[in-house]
Amino acid sequence: MSKIIDRSADIGEFVPEKDDDILVCRCEEITKGEIRKAVHMGLYTMTEVKRFLRPTMGLCQGQICGENVRRIIAKELKEPIEALKETTARPPVRPIEMEVFGNEVEKL
Amino acid sequence: MERITKHPIIESFDKGRKVAFTFDGKTMEGFEGEPVAAALKANGVMIHRYTEKRHEPRGIFCAIGRCTDCVMVVDGVPNTRTCVTLLKEGMDVRTQYGKGGTEYEKI
Amino acid sequence: MRRYDVCIIGAGPAGLSAAIEAQKLGMKSAVFDENHRPGGQLFKQIHKFFGSKEHMAKIRGFEIGKELLEEAKNVGVDVHLDAVVMGIYEPHRITVREDDSITSYSADSIIVSTGASEKTIPFEGWTLPGVIGAGAAQTMMNLYGVRPGKKILMMGSGNVGLVVGFQLLQAGCEVAALIDAAPRIGGYGVHAAKLARCGIPFYLSHTVVKAEGNGKVEKVTIAEIDKNWEFIPGTEKTFDVDTVCLAVGLTPMSQLLRMAGCKTKYAGGTVPVCDKFGETSIKGLFASGDVSGIEEASSAMIGGKISAVGAAFRCGFINEKEREQKYDEYSLSLFKLRKGLFSKENKGRTDITKTDEGIDLSMTLFKKGYMTEEELKKFVRNSEIKGPHPVIECTQNIPCNPCEDSCSFGCIHVGNEISAVPKFDENKKCRNCKMCVASCPGQAIFIVDNDIGDGYASVSFPYEFCPLPEIGEKGFALGRDGKDLCVAEIIDVTTNKAFDSTAVVTMKVPKEMSMTARFYRKEVPVNE
Repeated sequence: MSKIIDRSADIGEFVPEKDDDILVCRCEEITKGEIRKAVHMGLYTMTEVKRFLRPTMGLCQGQICGENVRRIIAKELKEPIEALKETTARPPVRPIEMEVFGNEVEKL
Repeated sequence: MERITKHPIIESFDKGRKVAFTFDGKTMEGFEGEPVAAALKANGVMIHRYTEKRHEPRGIFCAIGRCTDCVMVVDGVPNTRTCVTLLKEGMDVRTQYGKGGTEYEKI
Repeated sequence: MRRYDVCIIGAGPAGLSAAIEAQKLGMKSAVFDENHRPGGQLFKQIHKFFGSKEHMAKIRGFEIGKELLEEAKNVGVDVHLDAVVMGIYEPHRITVREDDSITSYSADSIIVSTGASEKTIPFEGWTLPGVIGAGAAQTMMNLYGVRPGKKILMMGSGNVGLVVGFQLLQAGCEVAALIDAAPRIGGYGVHAAKLARCGIPFYLSHTVVKAEGNGKVEKVTIAEIDKNWEFIPGTEKTFDVDTVCLAVGLTPMSQLLRMAGCKTKYAGGTVPVCDKFGETSIKGLFASGDVSGIEEASSAMIGGKISAVGAAFRCGFINEKEREQKYDEYSLSLFKLRKGLFSKENKGRTDITKTDEGIDLSMTLFKKGYMTEEELKKFVRNSEIKGPHPVIECTQNIPCNPCEDSCSFGCIHVGNEISAVPKFDENKKCRNCKMCVASCPGQAIFIVDNDIGDGYASVSFPYEFCPLPEIGEKGFALGRDGKDLCVAEIIDVTTNKAFDSTAVVTMKVPKEMSMTARFYRKEVPVNE
């Protein structure tokens, strides 16, 4: 479903927009402008933007902002949203305390 | 004040007994077994926490345990999702500051 | 490691139906749900469901939830609550958090029916307390009896926005307006009409500019947008509301499926690529309900059963012939639900101007949530009919036919194609039992008597609010747009068990108002 994004493609200069100050990632408090700027700095995938800025890395694990972040990056790259690979889905899918995560028991 | 006393479709809401709990030290009443967030809402509390970076207020957003915006310090445990944590008698519920404190850490 | 024949993730309509079906087919089944209460969104749905009898139409969502849960218990499904599935591993193993520990379960098949989560639209001030999801509003008011706010602006005119908007009114909240960035109301016209006749204004091609307030929402500004989603200056409107409800769509909760590594595609969200049984690219891993593509709870229930049939075959509990037989039966039922103006293939289309019957669709209904009398005349012939008779204001092709079943005198005809527009058969005699009025999930049927003497007509309409009007009481008759028309007197209020909490109220209005007056509000004295 996702394609390999051409990194040599010209996506133009970063142009400020009126709503750049709006928070997109509620947990990590990251704005639309920050995400757009990151794309223009050469971060073309969800994973790169996530590791650089931390959107989708907060407590909610991207359940609220994931799709919006993806749409913003895709738009900046002038690609359809489905061209962009989502972040990797990993366990645990819900926030959990480490002591619980490590406490595996056998139930019979 | 925000409780529904009469509803055209729902005959009665499944409620436990009335219990007391505290919000930032202030005593409030709620029903045992309802989410802490529902009890707070019924008492008119809107702000559950203040964020780490911008120090902005947050409250209930999704109410089903996904968005984690409603987290508070409950019985000393930070980042507790109040929308899916059920109320018990005597619970100590506190506004959360930043990533887990009951006040911003002074550096 | 604990073992089941099939593990089902999510105890919503799809998951519970899958578990019941699997258990009936001889499989030892377990269903896991992260919530304290099972049923998924069903227990928040207090409206009567659409569809036909086989789809449990006319029954309210929470009652369907109770029935499913009861049946699951009776057939012996293991229902694990407060059981959060943390991960899925090959071949068919899941780890589950229960209390303060993690347990692994293995199964020969796994059915993922995790449902959907709400989409969001960021705008200035959207993180303020008081901006909430529509699901949050439903959870608070319908499960816990707490009003989400006093005065609310609803964002989104799909069925979720319309249904939750109405539920907010039922909970005693004020709804300031319903807005949508799209140029047309996205949900059923009948749902919109219920709000419109309560006087709720619709603002299409509008979105929120900003929400403001000191520590909470106190004021919201909306504006009209152009084709490029840019605000049109000068179109701003401000509402003093304390709550903004977001109902801007759902997206499948597919993390577990992605984690398992099955093939996915994009369809308004990431969905697994499945065969007709809901089996993903990984053998023995199934997806059903909203996680496999957003639909209604009614179709999720059938989808769950179909996945269970697939899983039962995969694990050797039934043979191929049995599988195909069951599939044919269930898919036929599903096929009936997937027709009409709001079906998958028609979703988002704005070029449809006529019903399947060739009648002009009401364009006012798409824009304002109600029909003009001229538009309605194409569907309903009224003036010459004597005595009480149903006036059916259901004018879009939606899969639903409880009206036909409700009339024991055969006055209402829908036919085999349940998405057909219902028609009143003038050759049959209406006995004024009002069952059709109470049964219509869209509350779109009225009993009208054009002449009850002395220059008056009577109009009976469904009423689901507190308090009920009283006989003899006077107030205002309201039009389809919720505006005051004339003085009305309540002459009958009927409630009974068969009406299932829907009261049918009859008001007396001047004769010329018989096709205009559709709702009522009690006159509130000035000094109150």
